[in-house]
Amino acid sequence: MRRVCLIAWAELALMVRSRVALIGVIALLLLSTIAAATSYAHMAQERLGRIANQTETDALFEAQPARHPHRMVHYGSYVYRPIGTLAGFDPGIDPFSGTTLYLEGHRQNSATISAVRENSSLMRFGQLTPAFVLQTLAPLLLIFLGFSMITRERTRGSLRLLLSSGVTARDIILGKTLALGSVGLVAIAPAWLTLVLMAIVMPSEAGAAAMVGLGYGLYMLIWVVGIIATSALARSGQAALLVLIGIWCFIAVVAPRGAAELANRLEPLESRAATDLTIQAELRQLGDSHNPDDPFFAAFKARTLAHYGVTKVEDLPFNFRGAVSAEGEALTSRLFAMHFAELATTQRAQSNIVANLSIFSPALAVRRVSMAGAGTDLETHLRFLQQSEAHRFAMVQYLNGLHRNRLSLADDAARSKDPQAEKRTRIGATNWAKVPDFVFKPTSAADRLSAAITPILILALWLGATVILAGWSGRVLAGRAL
Amino acid sequence: MGGEGLSLSELVVERGGRSVLDGLTLSVPAGHIYALLGGNGAGKSTALFATLGLLPVVSGQVLVDGKDPASQPDAARASVAYLPETVALYEHLTARENVDYFLSLAGQSCTKAQIEEAFAQVRLDPAAQDQRLGAFSKGMRQKTAIALALLRRTPVLLLDEPTTGLDPQATQDFHALLLDLKASDVAILMVTHDLLGAVAVADTIGLIIDGKLASEWQAQGANRRFDLQALYGAFTHARVGHAAA
Repeated sequence: MRRVCLIAWAELALMVRSRVALIGVIALLLLSTIAAATSYAHMAQERLGRIANQTETDALFEAQPARHPHRMVHYGSYVYRPIGTLAGFDPGIDPFSGTTLYLEGHRQNSATISAVRENSSLMRFGQLTPAFVLQTLAPLLLIFLGFSMITRERTRGSLRLLLSSGVTARDIILGKTLALGSVGLVAIAPAWLTLVLMAIVMPSEAGAAAMVGLGYGLYMLIWVVGIIATSALARSGQAALLVLIGIWCFIAVVAPRGAAELANRLEPLESRAATDLTIQAELRQLGDSHNPDDPFFAAFKARTLAHYGVTKVEDLPFNFRGAVSAEGEALTSRLFAMHFAELATTQRAQSNIVANLSIFSPALAVRRVSMAGAGTDLETHLRFLQQSEAHRFAMVQYLNGLHRNRLSLADDAARSKDPQAEKRTRIGATNWAKVPDFVFKPTSAADRLSAAITPILILALWLGATVILAGWSGRVLAGRAL
Repeated sequence: MGGEGLSLSELVVERGGRSVLDGLTLSVPAGHIYALLGGNGAGKSTALFATLGLLPVVSGQVLVDGKDPASQPDAARASVAYLPETVALYEHLTARENVDYFLSLAGQSCTKAQIEEAFAQVRLDPAAQDQRLGAFSKGMRQKTAIALALLRRTPVLLLDEPTTGLDPQATQDFHALLLDLKASDVAILMVTHDLLGAVAVADTIGLIIDGKLASEWQAQGANRRFDLQALYGAFTHARVGHAAA
C-alpha cells in the first residue's frame, strides 16, 4: 500500500505542478461547485415560487364572486407540482414534462410551464446541474487528466525503472487509480456536500440522498478504473485518448439519446393533439350532455325518471341539469382515465426499454438512480398527472353537486331570459372555499429507494467489469514494459 | 558491500518468437566491472531486462546476488540497481524528490545528509538538487540517476549505455564513480557500444554476437591493460558481420 500511495503522490504532484492539469481540476471543481450552488438556489426559489403560485391560485379561486357553479367549472384552477428537496440536484424530466396543470370541466389538459418552454433554447443543450456536470462533463475531464497516466510511463521509459525498483504492475495500476480517483473525489465533493445539506434540511430525504450519492460515487469510480485500464492497455497516449473519447461519446452522449430514440420507435407514443382528437371523437360517440336529443343522455334521463318514479324532470327532487353535468363529467373522466392508462403504459414501456439499455451505458443507470432519488422521474410525473386528474374530477363533481342540489331547474332553465332567475342561480362565494385543496403525494422515499436498487446493481456490475479489465491490463502492462 | 555478484548461465530468451539470447553465460563477481559489448540487436539490453526479471527466461538461469528473478522477483530486484540508457526520472520532480521517491519505492530510506553526500559524490551542483529535472541537461540527469543507484546500495548494478550523450569530462567523472563503486565490492554489468570507455574501467570485456558470448577478455597486468588492437578488430568484425547478416 505504501508503494501505491507513493505512485499516487507522484502523479498528483505532476498534476499540481503541470498548469494544464491544475487548471483542469480547478475548472472541474468550479463547475461542480457552481452547478451545485446555483441549482440549490434555483430550486429553493422555484419551490417557494410554486408554493406562492398555488396559494395565489387557490385564493383567486376562493375569491370569485357568487356565480353559477357551472361557470366555476369552466373557470377552473391551476395545480403546481411541489418540488422535492433533491430536485435541485437533478431536475430529471421536469424541464421537459411540465409541472403545472390547468384543471377545468370536460377537459383534461396537458402539463404545462416547463423550463424548456419558458427559457431560451439553450436549455435544450442541458442545464448546468450537478447531475449534468457529473454525468457528462466530469468523465470528459477525467479522461483528459488520466488517459496518459500509464502510457506516459511506458513511452518515457520510467515504467522499466519502476518495475526494476520492485514495484509491481498492480501497484502502478492501483496508484494511478488512487491519483485519478482523488481528482474524481474533488469533482464529486461539492455534489456530495449538496446532498448532505439537502438531507440535513429534509431528514426524510436522507436515504434517497445517500442512494444518489452512492450512484454517482460508483459512476465516477467506473470512469476512473476504466480510464486507467485503457491507459495501461493502449500502446500510446494518442490511442488511449481516441479510444476513451469514443467510449465517452457512446456512454454519455449517444447511448442516452439513442436509447430514448429507440424506445420511441419500439413503443411509439401518440402525440397529444392526436390523442385529443381521438378523445373528442370517442366523446361524440358516447354522448353529448349539451344535446337534449342525445341517445345516451336520453337513456340516462329515462333511467333517472324511472328511479324516482316521476314522468318529467321538473318533478325530480334535484336539478336535472346538474345531474346531467355530473354524469357527463363521469363519462368523460372514464375516457380520460382510459387514455391516461394507455399513455402511462406506453411511457412506462419506453422507460423500461431505456432502463434495460443501461446495461450498455452506466450513464443511463446513474440517470435512473439520480432521477428516482430526486423524485424527478417518469413515475413522479405520472403520479402528478394521476393525482391532478383525481383532484380535477373531485373539484368539478363538487361544483356539479352544487349545481344539482342548490339550484332549481326552473331558475336554471330561465336564467338566460330572466335576470332574476339568473341572479338566483348564483350561489355564494363561500362554497368555492370548500373545494378541497390539491395536495400532491409524492412517491415515498422507500419506493424511490427500491426503484434505485436495480440501476445501482447495474452500476456495481459495470464497476466489477472495469476492475476485471484493470486486473487484466496489469498483466498486459507487465509484459509491455520494454 | 560484498555479495555473490551476478551470473547468467546458458540463458535463452525469446522476443517475438525469435531467440534473442541463445545460451548466454557470463559471471560478474563482487567488486568487478564487466562490460558487455556488441552490435545493435546482439542481445545486450535483453540480457539486462532478463536480469531485472522483465523478460521471461526460456531456459538457463539468472542469479542476482544468489537470487533468481524468476522465482524470487522481489528479492532479486531489491539486490539490483538499474541505470537505463535514457534517464527516465520524473521531470516534474526535483532531483532530491526523484531520488527520495525511487528509494521509497524500493523500500529504502536515506537521510538528507546521505542524499546530499551522494549528490556530492556525483558532483551535482548543490543549487541544482532542489530544481526540477525538466530543466536539467542530459549529464545532470545522468548524475541524478547515478546518485540514486549509489544510494540504493545494492550489491549488483546494471548500466545500459551509461555514457551515451555525456561530454568527455562527465564521462571521466562517471568512470571515476564506477571505480569507487567497484571498490565497494559492487558487481557492475555495463552494456555499451563505447569500446574505449569499457577499456578504461572494465575488468572483463565480453563480446556478444547473436545472443551468444563470442569472446571474453580479461584485463591483464598491474595496469589492467587490454589488447586494444585485438578488441577493436573483434568488435569491428562483429559489427560488420552483424550488419552484413
